[in-house]
Amino acid sequence: MTLRPKKLIEYTAMLVIWLGLVLLFGLLSRNFLSARTFITLANRIPALAVIAAGMTLVLIIGEIDLSVGSVLGLCGAVVGLALVNFHLPFWAAILFGLGLGLVAGALNGLVIVCLGIPSFIVTLGMLEIARGLAYLTTHSQTKYIGSAVESLSAPVAGLAVSPAFLMAVLVVVAGQVVLSRTVFGRYLVAIGTNEQAVRLAGINPMPAKIAVFALLGLLSGLGGVFYTSRLGSSDPNAGVGLELLAIAAVVIGGTSLMGGRGSVVNTFFGVLIIATLEAGLAQIGASEPTKRVITGVVIVGAVILDAWRHHLTIQHFALLKQLFSRTQSPNQSCLTGDRNCD
Amino acid sequence: MAAGEETRGAGRSYLVWLKRGAHELNHRPFCRLAFLRILFHHDSLYFIKKHLLSNSVARLTLALALGALAGLNGGCDKSANNSANKSAPGKPKVALVMKSLANEFFSTMADGAKQHQAAHAADYDLIVNGIKNETDLAEQVNLVEQMIAQRVNAIVIAPADSKALVTVLKRAKEAGILVVNIDNKLDADVLKQADLTVPFVGPDNRAGARKVGDALAKQLSAGDNVAIIEGIPTAFNGQQRRLGFEDAMKAAGVNIVSVQSGRWEMEAANNVAAAMLNEHADLKAILCANDNMALGAVSAIQQAGKTGKVLVVGFDNISALRPLLDKRQVVATADQHGDRLAVFGIEAALKILKGEAPPADQITAVDLITK
Repeated sequence: MTLRPKKLIEYTAMLVIWLGLVLLFGLLSRNFLSARTFITLANRIPALAVIAAGMTLVLIIGEIDLSVGSVLGLCGAVVGLALVNFHLPFWAAILFGLGLGLVAGALNGLVIVCLGIPSFIVTLGMLEIARGLAYLTTHSQTKYIGSAVESLSAPVAGLAVSPAFLMAVLVVVAGQVVLSRTVFGRYLVAIGTNEQAVRLAGINPMPAKIAVFALLGLLSGLGGVFYTSRLGSSDPNAGVGLELLAIAAVVIGGTSLMGGRGSVVNTFFGVLIIATLEAGLAQIGASEPTKRVITGVVIVGAVILDAWRHHLTIQHFALLKQLFSRTQSPNQSCLTGDRNCD
Repeated sequence: MAAGEETRGAGRSYLVWLKRGAHELNHRPFCRLAFLRILFHHDSLYFIKKHLLSNSVARLTLALALGALAGLNGGCDKSANNSANKSAPGKPKVALVMKSLANEFFSTMADGAKQHQAAHAADYDLIVNGIKNETDLAEQVNLVEQMIAQRVNAIVIAPADSKALVTVLKRAKEAGILVVNIDNKLDADVLKQADLTVPFVGPDNRAGARKVGDALAKQLSAGDNVAIIEGIPTAFNGQQRRLGFEDAMKAAGVNIVSVQSGRWEMEAANNVAAAMLNEHADLKAILCANDNMALGAVSAIQQAGKTGKVLVVGFDNISALRPLLDKRQVVATADQHGDRLAVFGIEAALKILKGEAPPADQITAVDLITK
């Protein structure tokens, strides 16, 4: 229960950074602070948001997955193929895409865990394999699909946002609940902190690790479906470089690359920050090189801010604890005859 | 071989032995190269030395294997003579070095070249190579070097960069290989500095983009606001298309309120287009430097609920654009006959090789497509 205010502080900090960006772009451009901008933002982030949510869990167990962009491309390509060439209904095509993502992720996990090969290498291999397969299945051609897939990204009646966005929010909330409120989530944090200790405690870390990779594969598949639906066409080049964007979003959200610490909700804010930055820079009409420089600066800046804030909160809580223990616990420990008592 | 000795100190004594044992190989440089490549691969050299050469039986086996290789060498030499020796009558060997074969435009181009070769199998041999992504210059330089080592007669290249490839192409020319430039024109100044002339066979992107822009301008009136989504800003053909669009808009008195890069990609263009539509509510048209980006712009317009109010044009005429042209969501695009571009280059190379044509530039057609 003591965690709650601390988490709340973290969420507000991220929110403040994001609002700062929004205000900045509001000042710099004429029409940034409009409902239209936020609807556009909401419609563009689902794919990145679900993948970054899955990536958070992977980073929390101290691993990495570089294949997400390619798996997204492959799943999107297969959805296009199923719809255009095999004339399957949309739901069947979605199942195909998701299934393929799950298989790719599970394969990653199995090879990493069962053969003990570093995730960096295995997923780098998958990055190439999935991209190659995407080109093979589509003959490197963009396919126009049109209205058959657009329903997922069209705004829901009565609401301004799309079903894809709602699903992405659902995934983020579910991810956070799983991480902080379930045994599985606790295992993940424990594995990321000290896998050896987990093993010695009599818990087999292997199933959990495989499950995390499989889950990220599935979410990459979902990302592929969102992507295809938003653009109304399947593009074999979809998601090139997305893995770095996803990792950046996760790290901006304060998740440690070494594992053991992270939050899915904060990752979502990381995604928001990246997407806002991109949209804002496009809206003020910045040139391509400027965009790159500013994006890089903001990524590093956000992480520095986060590290600094994290450091402060730890100090703050340590101080509180110290005060607390000075007023209450000393007499207790003195009663028990503790030697360290002064 | 000398270079190998220097770089691999550990394998030096073994190499000396190898030199003596496989003396015959030294006379046939082409096959020696291939043979050495196998030996050097993944430190197999060190492995052989450590595990095999201590044992006399293994030594014998190795000697036998070398003998077999020498036999192969003879066969190999014959074919190498056929293709590499210029004075010998026979089929010329043409290498097509492309940009990214992952890009539909270039894969179509490569397919066209392969079909052409299949139809003219008696006239020439073809090797097709592409790089992994459009900006991977180093890989393309490696490919050209490999083609020089293969001793092809001509290299037909779509350079990934109009300046960086000049040095290696000069080396190819010095090795007696004919170089023909297609698609992306090499930088004239750099060519002059390197004292190199390379015939260019390809479309005039600026004129093509001008045609597309003019077709769009017929549906606009003077004073309207439009935006341009360009490709990667450093690419020559991208710059030309942007200039062509700007020429057409200026001529029609239309204002260009924003020019941004969509990096040739659908999603990047989608994001940029969405931002443009937010910022400039009165936007009348978006001009995209390729069709993928036009697809991205169309879906951004749709999501903004402005279908029909904002016009889109593209460039390349890819198959996925067809339904959008039919629905008039895309007004016009340009067809530079991608499937035949490489073929034009190959045909020009063959003619120059035979001495039928001078090595001069050749502009290929760009057609306006509006339905």
